[in-house]
Amino acid sequence: MAKKSDIQLVKSDGTRLDGRSPTDLRPLKITAGVLKQANGSALVEWGRNKVLAAVYGPRECFPKMLTNPYRAAINARYLMAPFSGNEEHSRSGPNRRSQEISKVIQHVFENLVLTEQFPKTMIDICIEVLQSDGGTRIAAVTAASVALADAGIPMRDLACGVGVGKASGQLLADLDKGEDNFGESDIPTVISPRTGELLLYQMDGMLTREEISRGFDLATEACMKVHAKQVEALKKKYDTVLEEAGSNGE
Amino acid sequence: MKKIVVPGEQVSDRPVQCDGCFVDAGKTFATTMSLATDERVIPLKGRYVPVLGDFVVGIVKESIVIGYLLDLNSPYLAKLGDRDCREEYRHGDVVSVKLASVNEVHDAMAMEPRKLEGGTLVAIEPVKVPRVIGRNGSMLALVQDHTGAQVSVGKNGRVYVKGGNVALAVQAINKICAEAHTSGLTERMTDFLKREAARSEQVN
Repeated sequence: MAKKSDIQLVKSDGTRLDGRSPTDLRPLKITAGVLKQANGSALVEWGRNKVLAAVYGPRECFPKMLTNPYRAAINARYLMAPFSGNEEHSRSGPNRRSQEISKVIQHVFENLVLTEQFPKTMIDICIEVLQSDGGTRIAAVTAASVALADAGIPMRDLACGVGVGKASGQLLADLDKGEDNFGESDIPTVISPRTGELLLYQMDGMLTREEISRGFDLATEACMKVHAKQVEALKKKYDTVLEEAGSNGE
Repeated sequence: MKKIVVPGEQVSDRPVQCDGCFVDAGKTFATTMSLATDERVIPLKGRYVPVLGDFVVGIVKESIVIGYLLDLNSPYLAKLGDRDCREEYRHGDVVSVKLASVNEVHDAMAMEPRKLEGGTLVAIEPVKVPRVIGRNGSMLALVQDHTGAQVSVGKNGRVYVKGGNVALAVQAINKICAEAHTSGLTERMTDFLKREAARSEQVN
């Protein structure tokens, strides 16, 4: 039986199986404000991933035991739809993996949102993965970040991320499902683009110190491209109104 | 020049204290989606947080021992004491109140209740309230003059419309909110209200 390392994920000309170069991202489209009922929402279509995020709040905190008199509680909920992939996600509802991802997403936004402005309240971030193809937690953070900004919740910065990893001995940015499953290592990375601070860094597999350092540089560079798309999506929502009003706002 | 800024985007290269901003390393950055003009930041979206002295439109949510709990279209509720009420309220009643005290965790006490009956309640973004009122109440006067409606605007983003052409007044308020961040809005609203008022007169 062939080992994982025998699977060629990078072609001899240096391109990946889908034709991307090692630093290329998959096509990324972000749409802000897709749900009318939510305070803020976003749809991220990243390669074959489709992730929907909705933000509700700040609202009265329920259950009451989670109330913090000094700051708002953040309640992140990441779920994969039963039809999102063709593997282990066929059962609806939370599981071990989704609880872990919900927890790390909550930590990302606890470090970004100015929770001290809304004591005793709760901010709900609901994320639904409609279609998955590797890197869904990064797509989830990207969508949630845009949804929070769309909801008008004060934040220090937008969170943007990308998965980097190693496949066929080469460092790659934005791994798809095949590269993630059959590669040597993957590191979902989320940074705050304004300061470069690290918000999420989860490594799976083995890398050398030098590869980690190079991988982080690769991730930072890719995150900036994601950040540009996030800003574009948020501004586009208001640009439409500017155009409709027949004014350029100057 | 006006521009739309996103959270974390630099607004000024010097420290400026204003709502919707924070200062880091001597520079000022936006915290919410805002319209920035020369070191002035106007948030485009946000929840209402009770402020002392605000006139707000609340909905009676619950009857408690000391009086009532009011929903203020905010994460925080306001208490209205029985002693301040001239009449008894029921769940769902709409009252305009003044916030008499607000503590450090934003819990408010309301006073001077006035029951609002027989009109239409419109919910708008609390950050758009100053635009709906206009400079010295000019925009509000414009809507009232052209529709004949009596419009009460609560700081919490609840607008109560009664009498006159309610449908046109609501349409105008929604248009103001949708285009709040654009310039030349007063002129456009004047044209819009004149045109629509004339049209509704023709229909009638």
